[in-house]
Amino acid sequence: MTAIHLQNLVKRFGPFTALKTMDLTIENGEFMALLGPSGCGKSTTMNMIAGMESPSEGRIMFGDRDMAGVPMGRRGVGFVFQNYAIFTHMTVRQNLAYGLRATRRPADEIARRTKAMADLLQLTDLLDRPSAGLSVNILQRVAIGRSAIMEPAIFLLDEPLSNVDAAFRAVMRTELKQLQRTFKQTMVYVTHDQLEAMTMADRIAVMDHGVLQQVGTPLEIYNNPANLFVARFIGSPGMNLLQGTPVETARGLAIDLGPLGLTPTLLPEQAAAVRPGKGPVLYGFRPEQATIVGDAQGMAMPVTFVERIGARTILHLGNGPQTAKTVFENEAGFEQGKILHFAPHPAAVRLFDAATGTALKGH
Amino acid sequence: MKDDAAKLGFRLTLPAQVLVLFISVFPLLMQLYISLTDWSPLSGLNWTRAWQMWNSFANYSDLIHDHRLWAALGRTVFVMAVCVPVEFLLGLGLATLFMDNFPGKRLFYSILIMPMMVVPAVAGYMFFMLFQSGGPINDILSGLIGHPVTIAWLSSPNLALFAVMVADIWQWTPLMFLILLAGLAGVPDDQIKAATLLGANPWQRFLTIVLPRMKTIIGIALAIRVIECFKIFDTLFIMTGGGPGVATETISVYIYKITTQDLIWGYVAAIALAILIVLSVACVWALKRMARQ
Amino acid sequence: MAEIAFQNVTKSYGATVAVNDASFTVADNEFFCFFGPPLSGKSTILRLILGLEKPDSGEILIDGKRVNDTTPAARNIAMVFQNLALFPHMTAAENVRFPLVERHEPADKIATRLQDVAEKLHIAHILHKMPGQLSGGERQRVAIARALVRDPAAYLMDDPISALDARLREETRVELKRIQREAGRTLIYVTHDQEEAMSVADRMAILERGILRQIGRPVEIYDHPATTYVAQLLGSPGVNILSARRMGATYDLADGALQLTAPDGLAGVTELGLRPEDLRVTPWQGGTGRPATVTEVEPLGGYTVVTLAAGPTPLRALMRGQPDIRVGAEVALTCDPAQVIYFGDKGQALSRIGGERL
Repeated sequence: MTAIHLQNLVKRFGPFTALKTMDLTIENGEFMALLGPSGCGKSTTMNMIAGMESPSEGRIMFGDRDMAGVPMGRRGVGFVFQNYAIFTHMTVRQNLAYGLRATRRPADEIARRTKAMADLLQLTDLLDRPSAGLSVNILQRVAIGRSAIMEPAIFLLDEPLSNVDAAFRAVMRTELKQLQRTFKQTMVYVTHDQLEAMTMADRIAVMDHGVLQQVGTPLEIYNNPANLFVARFIGSPGMNLLQGTPVETARGLAIDLGPLGLTPTLLPEQAAAVRPGKGPVLYGFRPEQATIVGDAQGMAMPVTFVERIGARTILHLGNGPQTAKTVFENEAGFEQGKILHFAPHPAAVRLFDAATGTALKGH
Repeated sequence: MKDDAAKLGFRLTLPAQVLVLFISVFPLLMQLYISLTDWSPLSGLNWTRAWQMWNSFANYSDLIHDHRLWAALGRTVFVMAVCVPVEFLLGLGLATLFMDNFPGKRLFYSILIMPMMVVPAVAGYMFFMLFQSGGPINDILSGLIGHPVTIAWLSSPNLALFAVMVADIWQWTPLMFLILLAGLAGVPDDQIKAATLLGANPWQRFLTIVLPRMKTIIGIALAIRVIECFKIFDTLFIMTGGGPGVATETISVYIYKITTQDLIWGYVAAIALAILIVLSVACVWALKRMARQ
Repeated sequence: MAEIAFQNVTKSYGATVAVNDASFTVADNEFFCFFGPPLSGKSTILRLILGLEKPDSGEILIDGKRVNDTTPAARNIAMVFQNLALFPHMTAAENVRFPLVERHEPADKIATRLQDVAEKLHIAHILHKMPGQLSGGERQRVAIARALVRDPAAYLMDDPISALDARLREETRVELKRIQREAGRTLIYVTHDQEEAMSVADRMAILERGILRQIGRPVEIYDHPATTYVAQLLGSPGVNILSARRMGATYDLADGALQLTAPDGLAGVTELGLRPEDLRVTPWQGGTGRPATVTEVEPLGGYTVVTLAAGPTPLRALMRGQPDIRVGAEVALTCDPAQVIYFGDKGQALSRIGGERL
């Protein structure tokens, strides 16, 4: 059970920089998600933690041990590959026991621990089956069990659910979370699915193009995104961001969205973050944080598309260059072509500098 | 729909099928026919009239009692039993080396492949010269040991077989190397990494992951080499002519000799057919075993 | 009318029945989705429509004509592959033209069709580019244009976006829906992602191991599923299925934590389905019944999934926003009886069913 410290980590592959100066601490026993789109550097980071790649610059510490030069076989790290990398020419039992046999544990200990792990993961009936051809659900458990049986201090998972079809994903997410609670290891989880990260992680590290964008708990990142990328990437759908300039009105500061009109007045804390004439800003609010208002109030946008997905209805708004989405419970009356009058919850509004993309804070 | 495609395919390949039939089945039947006679080209008869010298299965019973034949067979099996494993181990070692990058890899690769591309007869002549009493091999050994070495490799009954085996190993290790290299490349990298992360050292990874996944390729490589080695002829014959005496007379050499020197073609046909049957059975058995895995 | 209909079609592979007595009609210009878990027969149905497989029994009709024995080439159904399969050495225009060129259509017809389809799919301005120079979205439009240039009765897509990143999937499915509306052709679509199916489909068919369980609009199937199986397939988090104990005029659920007035005239109810968003959670303030205990809180930002211990099966409720609720809290559960789904002992819905039940 160890904390992981990544200090000034840089990784280059020839002329291409995959990871640019990353500083991150993963606390002991924490479930940390590395979240970002393909190519953002999350897998590279994890490979370096495992020892499969070595950093071009910077260092990795497990607790107070510098991992430079420590080969991957000796780091005490468990790793679940994206395609599980099950030894398909062996049975389930042989897979689970592999690490114990390789480290030459006594035979009775191997038998005992293999059985315990199989019971825990409900693999007992499958122990002597060849692992080739088993379902993905089972293979995932074998992959986890194979690593977990070595009782590593650190557990790394590389997009383990990306090969699982949507129906099973929810079930497997719950299983993984349970496992982390049971084993209490420090877990690092790479994914491109923000819902996965939000559901499972204690903290999320959002990455894009090799740069760490923000680290925080799921709610921190959701409620206070540090920049435009995080605002858009987190949330399903992502945050609405409308371009405008701050203007003074009779009742206080508001944002002039051009053809879309004026936003509702900003709250004092938000107003403190902007000044008229300081340049364009992006007016942000989450689709779930809007309410429908009367015809003459709030903002008005035409509904271009209605998505009814189970519990929620997502309305796609806006014809022009500025579009938005709102999410409501399944109430009737949303039709394509109609004008929706809505206003975001005042406290939910977030402002961003249009030039740099960073969040504007009012204190 | 699928049947139409199959029928068309059959019709298109019919000419080729007829050709293959003509080239392989017909000669086989001819051979069977001759093997049941006492015929030789010296008999004055056209081969079609060989039935006039019919001796039914006398040739076959003769060959069972032919000591020279069995000695030749024994030698052949011995050569096979030494050469193939050595080629395999050397090929495997080299292939493992080539999985990593090292400076000069491309050059080394080209040099390594070359022996396979040498005409076997030329290789025979080459080794004939190398193994001469006053030849390069003895010179090198003299240099290493420090005092003159004049081993008569090719005229000594024991050493001649050794020299022949060296030549075979030199020529065919590259083939093993190539096949095994392809097999090694087919082992999934992820699984090797997974094994390493679980604490396995390189030797353990080799035994538990690499080798098992190469079973089929290894089977193919060994099957190819065993069959080819059994037929060993060109290189050997040029080097030693089967001598000294019959010290390096393998089965192919023996058949060649009685065909061209003793001219008892009926008998030869019987031997050849017998070997064909034995080898075919062995092949089918080996293939069935591999298919089961 | 470019209708596609199956009448009692069955297809088996050896001992496995892949499609079992399937009957349905896909209307003209419809975005029709086949949805179900893996190995439920979706891809087999696609192959039967295309003509790559022949049914063991039953009729397949395209435009009213029986096509069981028609070759795939003659059926006038186009397929868009998951990897798009654009010819990399041809321009977008050449790619789109290809099916017509191959059929030796006259040049002026090809030109007209190309222009027609390019306008519909908004790709006229990129026709001169090579596939390697196009964005993912543009390539998808070119692939669809190529499928539509033959003016097919319908075009098919088999799980086209499952390989994409989550965010891209959300955006692309809206794109595909828009394209289908603009192009005005029947699209038959296969997926195993329930959110995707509900978002894109005009109507969808739910498959369970080769058997069609329900066909209808996604909203209808979601609100009024035919069986517990269908109910559990749609919706995330999944529907809560509770055993119902009738106590006079009410149902006693979850060991007393939830009580509902039983509707009149409904007999034989053994289970109730409750969608998480229909389960109201409020702080416990005493009163009749029992509280439920919160065992897990998953804050997802826009809403929060709360897992509750009450009775033998854990319940899940979907709460709007980020309510102040902690693990261990005691809560009261309520629900509007009108939103409950009533099931009988074989898992069949006793209340209204959306679309067709089969």
